[in-house]
Amino acid sequence: MAHCERASKPLLQCLRNTYSRSVAGVQLQTRAFQTTANVREAEAESASLPFHKAPDPSLVTSPRLERRLLRQGTAPIGSRRRRAALQDSDNIPFEQLPYQCFQEARKILLADREEKLKEIETMRQRLARQEALPVEQAGGEKAKKSRITAMQLHLERLKILADINDPLVKRKFEDNEGDMSKPIYRFLADRKWREYRRKVLVQRITQMKVIPDVLPHCDPVAETKMYFGKHQVQAGEFVEARSSTTPPKLDVQIFEGGEKLVTIAVVDPDVPNVENNSFDYKTHFLAVNVPISATNTKVDLAQLLEDSQVVLPWLPPVAQKGSPYHRLSLFIMEQKDSQPLDFAAVKAKENNRDTTLLRTLQSRYHLKAIGAHLFRTQWDETTLEVMKEIGFDGAKVELRRKRVEPLPYKRRNPSSFR
Amino acid sequence: MFKPRVLTPLRALERVFTPTIRSTPILSQSQSLLRTLSATSTFPKTTPRPSLSALLPFSQVRHASHASQGTANRHSRDPAGKRLGAKRSGGEYVVPGCIIFRQRGSLWFPGENCAMGRDHTIYATQAGYVRYYLDPLKHPKRRFIGVVFDKDEQLPHPRNAPSRRKLNMVPVPMVERVEAQSDLVASVDANGVRVSDVKATDAESGPQLRPGYMYREANWVIGRAAEKAGITAEPYDRRNRWLAWRKRQQRAERAAQMKSLKGSKKTAKK
Repeated sequence: MAHCERASKPLLQCLRNTYSRSVAGVQLQTRAFQTTANVREAEAESASLPFHKAPDPSLVTSPRLERRLLRQGTAPIGSRRRRAALQDSDNIPFEQLPYQCFQEARKILLADREEKLKEIETMRQRLARQEALPVEQAGGEKAKKSRITAMQLHLERLKILADINDPLVKRKFEDNEGDMSKPIYRFLADRKWREYRRKVLVQRITQMKVIPDVLPHCDPVAETKMYFGKHQVQAGEFVEARSSTTPPKLDVQIFEGGEKLVTIAVVDPDVPNVENNSFDYKTHFLAVNVPISATNTKVDLAQLLEDSQVVLPWLPPVAQKGSPYHRLSLFIMEQKDSQPLDFAAVKAKENNRDTTLLRTLQSRYHLKAIGAHLFRTQWDETTLEVMKEIGFDGAKVELRRKRVEPLPYKRRNPSSFR
Repeated sequence: MFKPRVLTPLRALERVFTPTIRSTPILSQSQSLLRTLSATSTFPKTTPRPSLSALLPFSQVRHASHASQGTANRHSRDPAGKRLGAKRSGGEYVVPGCIIFRQRGSLWFPGENCAMGRDHTIYATQAGYVRYYLDPLKHPKRRFIGVVFDKDEQLPHPRNAPSRRKLNMVPVPMVERVEAQSDLVASVDANGVRVSDVKATDAESGPQLRPGYMYREANWVIGRAAEKAGITAEPYDRRNRWLAWRKRQQRAERAAQMKSLKGSKKTAKK
């Protein structure tokens, strides 16, 4: 017996010995808490095959079967301990569980939810009234606007508070089955992202100096994942030149409702400039008017439309031999009021990769950075081939350190040394 | 350290008088004199000649070994100066590796284009001009030493300004790496890749003079001795636990044998 199975044993025994299997389900008013998903159904379906031949992702506990499932492409659901507990459980819905204290606590939570729903209703009515109010009565344009925004914020907060104590919501979120069109799941996802991943991202982009080098400031509010092929690139990872010849796929998760139009830019601030003894910028990719929303997160840079979105197509990043590593920083920039930019005008203006600065773009088109990502590239075995493919003109040259002239030896105040 | 030396002249005096006073009644007088000074009157009067140590239990001596350590107020404990402090002042030109400040502990911290050595020495990593500055946004209390590229540049830079860097590199035509001459050749056919060796120049002509003035075969020839003899080892399979067990047993047996031999040798020596 695996340790997880052993851990869930007392609970299972307790469940099995109860007499309340026949307790009638309590019918709840309005939208009740959801009941647990019926796992038995899935089990009955595959009863013809033995479990080890067709493991159920919500019940599998042995690492070997889990691995097999992963190889087939389905991830096991939830924690192994929970799966072990589900194997033997009778799946009694929460309202039928025989624990008095638990049921009392549920009653309190249900009452709280009712209260919140009522508040939401009244808030909606007040908001509608406020919006219908003429400007003179509301005390000016500004006052009305600020009041309406405050009310909307409070309404969003109430929507989250109504569902935050629901154990089924929590479970669905943990199983990655959360519906991102609902505010509660967006809230939970945002909180989870901010707990760890956002911190790592912010650390990478500040420690690797992307933030003052490419943009003066960035407060990431959208989770961005980047994939080259199937491989997910962590922020700051070194990517081989061969695998970055094709444009990456992005997964941009925003945690607000509504659709947004964004500009996506990939900028390299580390192009060596030997004449000036400094570094130049190069824009490797620029696309405008890319729609994203909380449910529509996938953006494939190769699939964007040539005639209405891609301003500068993907240029594979290469690092000359001997040059310091190149930081390829990706920025997701929100367009103002989600209004589309004039593609033809942008395309006509931003046609030079070397002179297009992201700072300039930001101020010119009123963009706001909402997401960032970063990968690095350096000279490797595949770089030379890629350079030849794209016709890079520095392929035959390698960079070496310049010799520093030592300071002339100067005897300082020799008389005092005697 | 207090060393009563007051009694020394008296002791000398006593040494002078002892032979004479042994038979004379003056003894009692001189003894009474000593007794009052040494504050001990416990020894019995019947003792004909009391020893000096008993007479003077608190008298102490300063030996030569003590005296050689020196006195309290001399400056012998002060070590030589370590020549710490600023080696380059603000605005002075430095090159990479140039030491700017020597210190014990981090009184100053490395700022822009500077680094700290293992003894907290601040040195330059870029050629430029030295700046001593405070950066309250980076750290409210630390003092920094930095190097700037331009003579009139000031530190700290604004937080959101792009960092100023120099490439410090020169383009050199890329050198094609010469492939090392190998005596291995690989042939790819339907059976897979087969690696075999070619007759390298005079590999078969017998032992050659090798470093160390030895006539012997090349290392790679020695390494292929088993192949020449036709000895094959079965390929390693980590899942073959039966073989692994047998090997482990053999090793354990051998270890036990060696241990017993070691013990017997010891006893034989004795």
